[in-house]
Amino acid sequence: MVNTRFCGSPDHGVTRRSFLSVPAIAGVSAFAANMRIMDALKNPCLAGELKRQQKSVILLWLGGGASQFETWDPKPGRPTGGPFRSIATDIPSVQISELMPKMAQRLKTTAIIRSLNTRNADHGGGTSLMETGRAVEAAIDYPDLGALIARELGRADSQVPDYVSMYSETEGRHKGGAGFLGARYAPTFLTESMIPPNIRRQESLADVDHQERADLQKLLAKRFSDKRYNASVASHGMAYERVRGIMASEKLFDINQEPQTARDFYGPTQFQEQCLIARRLVEAGVPFVKVARAWWDSHGQNFETHLELCADLDQGMSALLDDLKQRGLLDSTLVITLAEFGRTPNINASLGRDHFASAWSCTLSGCGVKGGAVYGKTDPDGHKVEEGEMKSGDLFATIFAALGIDYKKEYHVGARPIPIVDFGCKPVTEILA
Amino acid sequence: MNLARRLSFLSLFLLSGNLIAAELVAPDFSIEKAIDHYIQARLTERQVQPAPAADDCTLVRRTSLDLQGRIPTVTETKQFVDSTDADKRVKLVDAMLASPDFAYHFRNQLDTLLMLGQNGAPGEWREYLLKSARQNRPWNLMFRDMLIGNEDDPEAKGATAFVRVRAKELDELTNDTSSIFFGVNVSCAKCHDHPLVEDWKQDHYFGMASFFQRTYVTKKNGIAEKFSGEVKFKTTKGEDKIAKLMFLTGTTIEEPVIQVSAEEKKKQDEEVKKQTQDDKAGPPPIPPFSPRTKLVEVALQSGNDQFFARAIVNRIWAMYLGRGLVHPLDQMHSGNPASHPELLEWLSRDLIQHQFDLRRLVRGIVLSQTYARSSEWNASSEPPAADIFAVALVRPLSPRQYSMSLRIASSSPEAYKPATEDWQKRRDDLERSCEGFANQFELPGENFQVGVDEALLFSNSPQFTDDYLRDSGDRLVGVIKAQPDRGAQINTAYWSALSRAPSADEVAACEQFMAKRTEPVAGLRQMVWALLTSPELRFNH
Repeated sequence: MVNTRFCGSPDHGVTRRSFLSVPAIAGVSAFAANMRIMDALKNPCLAGELKRQQKSVILLWLGGGASQFETWDPKPGRPTGGPFRSIATDIPSVQISELMPKMAQRLKTTAIIRSLNTRNADHGGGTSLMETGRAVEAAIDYPDLGALIARELGRADSQVPDYVSMYSETEGRHKGGAGFLGARYAPTFLTESMIPPNIRRQESLADVDHQERADLQKLLAKRFSDKRYNASVASHGMAYERVRGIMASEKLFDINQEPQTARDFYGPTQFQEQCLIARRLVEAGVPFVKVARAWWDSHGQNFETHLELCADLDQGMSALLDDLKQRGLLDSTLVITLAEFGRTPNINASLGRDHFASAWSCTLSGCGVKGGAVYGKTDPDGHKVEEGEMKSGDLFATIFAALGIDYKKEYHVGARPIPIVDFGCKPVTEILA
Repeated sequence: MNLARRLSFLSLFLLSGNLIAAELVAPDFSIEKAIDHYIQARLTERQVQPAPAADDCTLVRRTSLDLQGRIPTVTETKQFVDSTDADKRVKLVDAMLASPDFAYHFRNQLDTLLMLGQNGAPGEWREYLLKSARQNRPWNLMFRDMLIGNEDDPEAKGATAFVRVRAKELDELTNDTSSIFFGVNVSCAKCHDHPLVEDWKQDHYFGMASFFQRTYVTKKNGIAEKFSGEVKFKTTKGEDKIAKLMFLTGTTIEEPVIQVSAEEKKKQDEEVKKQTQDDKAGPPPIPPFSPRTKLVEVALQSGNDQFFARAIVNRIWAMYLGRGLVHPLDQMHSGNPASHPELLEWLSRDLIQHQFDLRRLVRGIVLSQTYARSSEWNASSEPPAADIFAVALVRPLSPRQYSMSLRIASSSPEAYKPATEDWQKRRDDLERSCEGFANQFELPGENFQVGVDEALLFSNSPQFTDDYLRDSGDRLVGVIKAQPDRGAQINTAYWSALSRAPSADEVAACEQFMAKRTEPVAGLRQMVWALLTSPELRFNH
């Protein structure tokens, strides 16, 4: 990574890399790295940096591709509009689909983007594009949004996972990953079980033994690590140092820890429960949580499908936003509702809508977002973008800007500079607070 | 880089070997001697005192991991350490190169290099690589097998998977071929002339792509070439251009003009279409002109072959020394010179003169003093820059190396007997049985980091406890629990897991730990756990 300095002052020659991740000076032991962080805390400029690091992202992923017509960009009365009406919202000039009545009363928290033109209407390609913000390239394995956020907002000594991805349904299930950023930022991926793998101590081993054998390992490892000036060796020590903390975070994943009132507030479906888990994780300092809700791929019976799924989304999303707000977390948590693409204006013979990436919608809520804003416009039938066309990279730049991350920063893969967002992409300031 | 330096480097880089040869040390130097000569010259120039030679325990472990793909057994380690033969290192290396282990491990390294760690290549691909590793098939012939391919040739069968798995993505085929075989990552030059590297233009990228443009996969899952077709691209100035067949040196190939009637052309196109759709079609027709064959010819022709030789020398060097002479490995261009240009030149010339014999190159590298240095930096000064090779670089084990090493480390020291006759079969079994566990680890790339998932796996997975820490007689825990005293137990565990004796401090730490355990066998399992999860086992050092 380039020498991005905190607050731009040349007086602070500490790079984010030396501060945040495996120390740039290869081989500084885990202990020394922690000391470095302690030192850094005394620096007022760095303290501001830390505050930024407490920001989080929750991505509500609508796997299969939700319809913009039945959610954020309705076209009632048009040949492409389908049977549902649009309804008034808490923002006078804005209407959304009647399938989202609760969100209609909460648009003050949320900005709608109606002008995505991402050009890839294939599930695999679209998913990859919207997960990484760029087209697949043979020579580079790009990290996904979760890994980028974990890298930018995660803490080296974090006691919780950096990136949790919940994907219970099978449609479009895709782990994503850290690409060139490395395994440190790979997701804790939850599919069948909501408890992360290997987080629970085996019953045959007493807690004290678990702790003391780790202490022995650390003691014995020290002799080896101390004289080897190597960042990979240091990362080994840090990974083991994090084990006990991560294990202690198991209860974060346990929804039974929540009172019944909170569970009722979110609702009983799997998606709604996972929204509640997401809030628990964010509250504990997890920088990125993805909750996937699949089966939106409505090639047939689009309207019945959306009647059911939008109810789930509307309830889960609005409960999440309300809860984050009540807890004072909405200002520091960005909630993104996104899919790999939208759905066609044309309604096919099976009353379905097919894949469509030329003019579709997503939303951003909370941290850094100008609530109530609507950006971009499609034509009256929703065939194409008329104003404010955005690519996936523009969306990523906007997300980074909302979180206070420099969207112009670069990583380096070998000698090659890799900008954090794709070339030529920039944030849409109109929807930023 | 200033112009003068750039020009002098270009001349070194691009001119044919003769001019430089005069400046290089004699070709009849042994490889190891040439390596140490050039590496020492730089150390002297920089006034750096290198780390001392690694001790015997470390050296035999390192060499075994590199040549056999696994840690040595306790017997192998002690045999080397106890030997007083002045020539014992040469004998060790030659024995390991001749062992069944070497072919398996070298196969795995080639597989990682060529398929970039992706699964999905057919079994016959790995069979091809294994056979080639066993026979020490020359690298230029392997290149030919992989790029041109002849599935009827028993020596080459399986090799075309290299092209086949990439044939649907022209970019991937172009870029991977350039990067792997020539050390040149041309991907940036697709959209514009390379911004950092003056050597590479869009013409190079599309010129390389042209060699693959006609390649297609038949319905029967073979590879074939069309009769015609060219790459068209738009330059950054907006001009439409038809790419020439152009190798990275700028050498272009003119395709002989063959007049084909419209009717014939139609017939050819139909035949190709049939090949892609009909799994009962006969063998695909062979066009008179094959761009892929031309690529192999032009790349291996004298003068151009330095490109090909340098790239593999650099990659093999990095496999054993932890960093390329040119680094990153796919950035071999005039703006990114080698740390030791003369050494790279010498080794490339040597490789060409010895018919691309990779095993010979590997042998020379591991016999050098440079390879055998300690990885500990004890001096009070800052550790030296990695590119002068003053101290051995620590390298993460590959998933397979790690999995097999854990298996050996956690087993009874008597469980594996490499010197016995049926070792080939047992090694084969070991390879297979360790594959599943290996798949749980990430393939180390540049700036490798151990993730917390790995630490959690070792800390809490029942699989690890129930298997690797089992106390049956065939396992390390089972063996040491039957030993009479604590000292012997600790000693056995150290030799088995870390290929060395414990220090007095370590014995004391383990004794103190064990003294607090209420259940002795459970305590031994915890102690062995602390050794098996050590960074000292996780890395080659």
